[in-house]
Amino acid sequence: HTHTHTHTHTHTCVPCECTVSLGPRTVVHPKARIIAEAGPIIIGEGNLIEEQALIINSYPENIMPDSEGVEPKTMTIGVNNVFEVGCVSQALKIGDNNVIESKADVGRNVILTSGCIIGACCQVNTCEVIPENTVIYGSGCMRRVQTERPQPQTLQLDFLMKILPNYHHLKKTVKGNSTPARS
Amino acid sequence: MASLLQPDRVLYLVRGEKKIRAPLSQLYFCRYCSELRSLECVSHEVDSHYCPSCLENMPSAEAKLKKNRCANCFDCPCCMHTLSTRATNIPAPLPDDPTKTAMKKAYYLACGFCRWTSRDVGMADKSVASGGWQEPENPHTQRINKLIEYYQQLAQREKLERDRKKLARRRPFMPQAFSQHTIHVVEKYGLGTRLQRQRPGAPVSALYGLSLKEGEEQKEVSIEPAQALDEVEPLPEDCYTRPINLPEVTTLRQRLLQPDFQPAGASQLHPKHKHLLMKRSLRCRKCEHNLSKPEFNPTSIKFKIQLVAVSYIPEVRIMSIPNLRHMKESQVLLTLTNPVESITHVSLFTCEEGDPDDINSTAKVMVPAKELVLAGKDAAAEYDELAEPQDFQDDPDVVAFRKSNKIGFFIKVIPQQEEGDVTVAFKIRHDFRNLAAPIRPSEDGEMPSEVIWLVHHVELSLGPLIA
Repeated sequence: HTHTHTHTHTHTCVPCECTVSLGPRTVVHPKARIIAEAGPIIIGEGNLIEEQALIINSYPENIMPDSEGVEPKTMTIGVNNVFEVGCVSQALKIGDNNVIESKADVGRNVILTSGCIIGACCQVNTCEVIPENTVIYGSGCMRRVQTERPQPQTLQLDFLMKILPNYHHLKKTVKGNSTPARS
Repeated sequence: MASLLQPDRVLYLVRGEKKIRAPLSQLYFCRYCSELRSLECVSHEVDSHYCPSCLENMPSAEAKLKKNRCANCFDCPCCMHTLSTRATNIPAPLPDDPTKTAMKKAYYLACGFCRWTSRDVGMADKSVASGGWQEPENPHTQRINKLIEYYQQLAQREKLERDRKKLARRRPFMPQAFSQHTIHVVEKYGLGTRLQRQRPGAPVSALYGLSLKEGEEQKEVSIEPAQALDEVEPLPEDCYTRPINLPEVTTLRQRLLQPDFQPAGASQLHPKHKHLLMKRSLRCRKCEHNLSKPEFNPTSIKFKIQLVAVSYIPEVRIMSIPNLRHMKESQVLLTLTNPVESITHVSLFTCEEGDPDDINSTAKVMVPAKELVLAGKDAAAEYDELAEPQDFQDDPDVVAFRKSNKIGFFIKVIPQQEEGDVTVAFKIRHDFRNLAAPIRPSEDGEMPSEVIWLVHHVELSLGPLIA
């Protein structure tokens, strides 16, 4: 799964039949990991997932991966979100226009609404709905509410869509065939 | 790397006005007095003020006027990071036809860290990139000015009195500029002399520059004393019942960084002008020579004079510590590094009984009795393959190894206390060729550079005993 996706397609995760689907204009950098372990992941439009970012729909701590009868939970990620280098996101619901900065860590029980910014290296592992336009920053994870939501990274996405195929092999998905596009 | 990562393991004693034990890397060496100096026993002088963000120089008089803050740069009131100016295009109505709009450049301040912007607190955008940000008026300005005026008057009166006393005493032999007395005056009136000695507890008046011109028309200023009120504004009724929304409340730090307003709500935070930094030079208090003088230009990080001790005094480092046991002898491997280009002869002594400097040691130490010879430092030696190693005929019982200008040697340690860290102390005596000593009229048979012998008291902290 070290590919640059610029189109909608679905691929299957073999062991548990969970799927990852990416919306149009979503760019996934090489070395980013999107792991649908405990349920499918649905990623919306215009998201930017940078190198070494990890988006994982993992099993909750108290449930073993092989225990049966666990309802798979879907992870949904809205539009125009940015996952910066090396961040980890386990949040099951992420709205629109959020930025998870480098090395930030968002826990499974967090719900990001929209326009939120999780600052570099901030760990948010609470069980809460983060209100809109919240900025979490600094070593003490201070919070503030900003008036404007962060701008969508349209220019950056356009640039990446142009430049990334020049330096990476793209596996084209064949229509009607849902074979995994992962190596 | 003990000197960088564990600087407090090896301490050198500085015999200044008070005795200070400090790692060699934090010490200075006065070449003129041939003594170690610590930051506590040198005078600190302000060379220049500059803004750390725009690196612009500011004369000290102007800096004082601007309360030591940069006029152009701002700090984020929220996270104290430097603010940057950001440009956007906003539609604005055309002046000749208000119904049509055209894109217009607008500038606002934004923080790249916590994403605070000047728009958050309702500050209007500016049409020019550079400044023009209006600042909220301090409601107490008038009172503060009045108080300053009053204290200026007091300072003036004090000075007159002191002058009168000085005349009566008549001490014509006191070199005026350097006497402690005059320095005090300089400080109090903030006359902007380079010879300001900063002390904790210096009068606050120095901050405001209470300069009064000589012979200025004196008029009596009187102030109303502050009134203590019995009744204060009552708290809002919902003070105890309204749930607190933390993002709306400022933190203590944010509040105290704006002492003139102390805003309680995040919506009242205004950008603060950036604090200036200063270039500082250090001067030996004994001989008045400079020990450290930075280059004037704020963009330069170099020094014109930098007499740090590590480039003159052989440095002792701890290389390996064996398991230390109470009353058992063990060998500690130390290294000695010669920072100068000439050969240095070093000999070590244990402290004598009742040495007033030897107050911390908790173990008996035996040091090599023979003189240790350190080769000169040669920066190119590493790359010079043809260079023959100098033969020092080392005693292998004393010198463990030798590598360019460094040697390793053993000391024997017998911990005397059953608990706590093991500390040993010894004296190190070495020759020093003082190239900077004032050139005396050369007499026959005198060497071009004088050799002097220096003795330092060194303390090593060797850590706890093994259980």
